[in-house]
Amino acid sequence: MTVDNYTSVFDSTKSDISQLFIPLQLLANFPYQMKEWVGMNTTSRTKLEQKNVSLEKERLILLGQLQRSAELAAENLRLRQLLNATELLMQSVLVTEVIGVSPNPVNHTVTVDRGTNDGVYIGQPVLDADGLMGQVVEVYENYSKVLLITDINHALPVQVLRNGLRSIVEGISDFNLMALRFVSPTVDIVEGDKLVSSGLGGRFPMGYPVGTVSSISQKPGEKFMEIKVIPSAKLDRSRHLLLVFTIKDGDVTRDINE
Amino acid sequence: MNSHSTFKPALIMLFAALILQFIPIAGDWVFWKPNFLLLMMIAWMLYFPDQYGIEFAVIMGVFSDFIFLSTLGYHVLIFSISGLILIFFHRIVVYLHLIHRVTLVFLMLLLIEFMRAGLDSSIDKLLSIEGILFLAVISAICWIPLDKVVRHFYLLQK
Repeated sequence: MTVDNYTSVFDSTKSDISQLFIPLQLLANFPYQMKEWVGMNTTSRTKLEQKNVSLEKERLILLGQLQRSAELAAENLRLRQLLNATELLMQSVLVTEVIGVSPNPVNHTVTVDRGTNDGVYIGQPVLDADGLMGQVVEVYENYSKVLLITDINHALPVQVLRNGLRSIVEGISDFNLMALRFVSPTVDIVEGDKLVSSGLGGRFPMGYPVGTVSSISQKPGEKFMEIKVIPSAKLDRSRHLLLVFTIKDGDVTRDINE
Repeated sequence: MNSHSTFKPALIMLFAALILQFIPIAGDWVFWKPNFLLLMMIAWMLYFPDQYGIEFAVIMGVFSDFIFLSTLGYHVLIFSISGLILIFFHRIVVYLHLIHRVTLVFLMLLLIEFMRAGLDSSIDKLLSIEGILFLAVISAICWIPLDKVVRHFYLLQK
């Protein structure tokens, strides 16, 4: 126990053996997939029409917002060129589905159905529709393991969207809560502040939503404040995720939503 | 009926326990999901301690360590101590009424969970004792069908 707890001697063995349980995870996921399939095939025509109308409206709104975003991106590029800044990074994404969840409530990992065959690599950021989910930690041929940002072993550099204040958000093995570390009592941070990834460390791309500050407190004698953050992503509910491929501007080799 | 006849049902039950263990659960229910492998082990060890002894507990512990990706030896320790307690109790448990058996298993699960929490804190893991009572209640409820199945085999062998 001591050897395994303080060294990584058995990590590869454990990871290799845990691969044997992937078929069982797929089997355990089968009832949920069946439910989804039945739900999809038994939806009435009226409901489908209503959904279609609502999606069409949503698409129009998003297209409008995209026009504005394209303009801002172009302006951003011009300004960066003026400042002689480094080359702009772009991201393309690959849709993936969760096929397994760690049975241990303390280990926040999920297994997704994309692997080296799809170009997935270790350290690749993963998103859901609402924000950052985590990063790929193990890759196999047809599936990968993703460490979620709420895992106790995960830390992520973030910044406050309102004023750019940088800090580190750590997982506490709670799907609905994280902790913001090393924030001194004198800094400008309030409840409700939105946190986004700062891009420092080069692992996660900059500007993706991470969470919202839910509570701020300070224990007497403590040097830093105790700040709790509610994650933006639905870490224990999202089924369809996005694997982010960071590529240099002008070298777009993957189609978005491939 | 020989000892081989319980091997097949035990294997099927192990498979079912593994599937139940892997079924994803959202929200706080994650913390209240029973350890089906432990429940399975309790059921077989209570009724067949001569066939499923402390070695069975150790094997199930190793198996759990790989499934839960926990520190090697963590589940082995918990399962083998639980096994020792079970061997102590099995002589009286088989004569008890279902309600009393469930109560005894509930108390045993409480003890095991407190032991696990203590072990967690000693190896710098997150100490979570808030959900222990509810987890033990749910586990005891889930143990009822297991008890019925294994008792059926016990009575057949008797």
